[in-house]
Amino acid sequence: MSRSAQPAPDPAPLDAATQALVARALRLEKHPLARLVSLVEHAGDAARARKASLFRHLAATPSAGRVVGVTGAPGAGKSSLIGCLALHLVQSDPAVRVAILAIDPTSVDSGGALLGDRVRTHFPVGERRLFFRSQATQGDRGGVGRRTWAVSRLLRHFFDLVVIETVGVGQSEIEIAHLADATALVTQPLTGDHVQFMKAGVMDIPDLFVVNKCDEEALARRSTHELRAALHTARIGGDEPRIFQTSAVTGRGIAELAAYLRGLPVRRPDPIHFVRRQVVETHGTYGLEVFEAERRRWPAGWAADAVYEDLEAAALRAVRARLR
Amino acid sequence: MTRDATPTRDQPWIFRTYAGHTNVHASNRLYRDNLSRGQTGLSIAFDLPTQCGYSSDHPLAGPEIGKVGVPVNSLDDFEVLFAEIPVEKINTSMTINATAMWLLALYVALAERRGVDPKLLQGTTQNDIIKEYLARGTYIYPPVHSMRLIADMYEHCLHAIPRWNASNICSYHLQEAGATPAQELAFALVNAMAVLDAIRARGTFTHEEFEQCVGRVSFFVNAGIRFVEEMCKMRAFVELWDETTRDRYGVANAKYRLFRYGVQVNSLGLTEEQPENNAWRILIEALGVTLSRKARCRALQLPTWNEALSLPRPWDQQWSLRLQQILAYETDLLEYPDLFDGSPVVAAKVKALMDDASAEIARITEMGGALVAIESGYMKTALVRSQAERLARINRGETIVVGRNTWTDGLPSPLLAGDDGGIFKVDPESARETLEMLRATRSRRSQGAVDQALRDLKAAAQGGKNLMPMSIACAKALVTTGEWATALREVFGEYRPATGVEGQRLSLEGGKVDAVRGRANAWAAQHGVRPRMVVGKPGLDGHSNGSEMIAVAAKHAGFDVIYGGIRLTVPEIVQSAIEEDASVVGLSVLSGSHLEIAKLVLDELEKQGAKQDIPVVLGGIVPDDDLPKLRALGIRDVFTPKDFDLMTVMDRILDVIGAPRESQRAASA
Repeated sequence: MSRSAQPAPDPAPLDAATQALVARALRLEKHPLARLVSLVEHAGDAARARKASLFRHLAATPSAGRVVGVTGAPGAGKSSLIGCLALHLVQSDPAVRVAILAIDPTSVDSGGALLGDRVRTHFPVGERRLFFRSQATQGDRGGVGRRTWAVSRLLRHFFDLVVIETVGVGQSEIEIAHLADATALVTQPLTGDHVQFMKAGVMDIPDLFVVNKCDEEALARRSTHELRAALHTARIGGDEPRIFQTSAVTGRGIAELAAYLRGLPVRRPDPIHFVRRQVVETHGTYGLEVFEAERRRWPAGWAADAVYEDLEAAALRAVRARLR
Repeated sequence: MTRDATPTRDQPWIFRTYAGHTNVHASNRLYRDNLSRGQTGLSIAFDLPTQCGYSSDHPLAGPEIGKVGVPVNSLDDFEVLFAEIPVEKINTSMTINATAMWLLALYVALAERRGVDPKLLQGTTQNDIIKEYLARGTYIYPPVHSMRLIADMYEHCLHAIPRWNASNICSYHLQEAGATPAQELAFALVNAMAVLDAIRARGTFTHEEFEQCVGRVSFFVNAGIRFVEEMCKMRAFVELWDETTRDRYGVANAKYRLFRYGVQVNSLGLTEEQPENNAWRILIEALGVTLSRKARCRALQLPTWNEALSLPRPWDQQWSLRLQQILAYETDLLEYPDLFDGSPVVAAKVKALMDDASAEIARITEMGGALVAIESGYMKTALVRSQAERLARINRGETIVVGRNTWTDGLPSPLLAGDDGGIFKVDPESARETLEMLRATRSRRSQGAVDQALRDLKAAAQGGKNLMPMSIACAKALVTTGEWATALREVFGEYRPATGVEGQRLSLEGGKVDAVRGRANAWAAQHGVRPRMVVGKPGLDGHSNGSEMIAVAAKHAGFDVIYGGIRLTVPEIVQSAIEEDASVVGLSVLSGSHLEIAKLVLDELEKQGAKQDIPVVLGGIVPDDDLPKLRALGIRDVFTPKDFDLMTVMDRILDVIGAPRESQRAASA
């Protein structure tokens, strides 16, 4: 076998301490879960082998969780809506488990970030079936990045529904669609949100739409009508996507939205998108050309079953070998 | 101009001292003592559970009973609190907001029980909910329902308690939260407009009655150390209010357009360092609101020299009261007409302030008014920005604060040398008496009457009837503070406003910032993730400036900061810290409950198995005596008002999480 085409994973088993964390996390203990999240957020090559071992270890447990991306302009009420939705889910079904990953922007000056989404979610203390975690973008393009991708893959092993709240509108719609099973766009009545989305060219990305803050009937009807008209223009020929009318104040539409999300088909995203991103980030667009050529030499079916970290490592190894 | 041998003197303003602590017995003694020393009005401080609508036996109340004011659970407490105080004669100001209707209902019920006609009651309920969302934090209900409670009170007071100021528009807390003079003017006035708009929207008043309502609107204003500008601010207030009431509300009667205000001078600028200097600051600040006859306050309450250290002792309050008496009775201040009329300097400053304020008022009105600017976070964000800029100026040494960033060497203060260290502490055992009284009330009242009164209250809340009569009925049935507030919570819901910290930047640069960021980056390189700090404001104390500034500064230093706003329970904060895998937790406690809260937090972390992994630091008004106690509990570092340099605070927090220093990095490279 040539040295460039070596997709075989590094067979290192997961260390005992992390195995113990996984065992406790499977019982939904918050502290070990939180530490696993930090582990997979760990940047840099040093952590890749351990992350790969973790995901290989986890591959033994089924991962039935659905990942739903929630995007929308600031002020659309994403956080409150997600909070309501999560509470409704755990209160109406004694078995369901929900995780929320809320993303906020990193400051360019300092590298620090203010992660303020917890303010609008008020969850019962000690409820193991609800898990909330904040994440800073740390310069990731579109505000959704490899760390989001890694955490979403982790959490879906432990939770039935993983909701990812993005920073706002723009690039993040497109990126979130690459890692979620479904993407919801939240709009606020009569703010012209959907005009902005049309301009941004993201109207055809979401799988479902939520007209939020529908606190009163007339408002709800008018905004939904406007949205439908906008969709009609933007998505010629396609099926009309589901539109939900919700209100965190009155609880309107929350049950319907919850039921819909739980019934979504599990559509595992294609990891190759993130491999490509990583290759471009490390070796530029020329590296990507090299990678695409190398990828054709991978054993059939291997990539489909491999853990993402192994894929990424193999890709970088292959490109490095060719560029050397 | 000639003067008589015995000049006609103006009546002095009302002398007040913001007071109340421990329990109703201790506070009643304090009030009677203060009145006997020449105080001419009462200003009641309630404890945080009372202000936030919890009875003393609620779990959130525990560490706070009697700390920053007097606890009031039911009419039985009011009986004791006002024992031997003639409510028909005294002017009583209550610093109470979300539960203002309840406390006024108790006062009315007390009067009626004593056979006093409520028409004779005079005083003020602070009842300014907008500044609670912005600065003080003792809100309960969403804005629209809170405004309804306020409008209900105006409606009820107009005929039933005509000498009562149903609410008091506060700009005081806005300055404490960082407002510039123009912001203070603008935000207070749009706030007053929101109240008047809500009253007018009811459509239940004749125009004559509405004018009377406008005439009942009074203000509570701050006076800072820049006393010339502050005096001009007061004159600007007078003119802007006259304009607003005439042009926007068509008030024809000039009497009802008068800007009537009380003052508490600035606490924000009082220092923990060389605390005796605060006596001069308080004197100078008092001048700003008394010098100009045209813009003189109606009532004045002064803080005490040791307010940055602790709650005041009776002697401290007496000292501040004496200042007022000397100013009013020894000096010739009250013998002259306005001293500044015709001064071009004053006129120009007043005009500049009015112009800036009017521009800001126009902006907010354009947005849809104060309630919209609350819900969108506009005003809060503006205040947090001003506060961050103010602190940055002090940090950079551009604003001189004597004893803090300039002339910092001083002799030890003999004022701190007494047996009590110059500070006041609430006896931790005193809460027992309050809880005992609450139990006694619950056991002797008729549960049937209580249930009926609460049902009526809720029905009125749902149906839109005026809630004042139902609240008075609740008071007479011995309903408790927590029961009244919870009945309305069930109808109105609870509210969490914007924190204002998102998107904020500190205008601090230079070597110190670079060094701190370097350490944060080095920690991040070591750990593969950025340091994460959970900033927690546990309990009921809503003075969020400190925690907001720490959150903003930590982000500036390169931390990922998780800030959940105010009024979180200890288990909620600990759960955040655990879920977020915090590198450090920073607690802010200003209510004096730091020992109790620190213990609760550390116990909870231990219970969750995370005490070893997550270090905790604490900031607040912490007396020196308590520092070793906090350390012994396991608090890793403590910050007090002395630690005003934000980057030094961050540097010490980086020490706590073990971030390498420049020298160590160089050595290991």
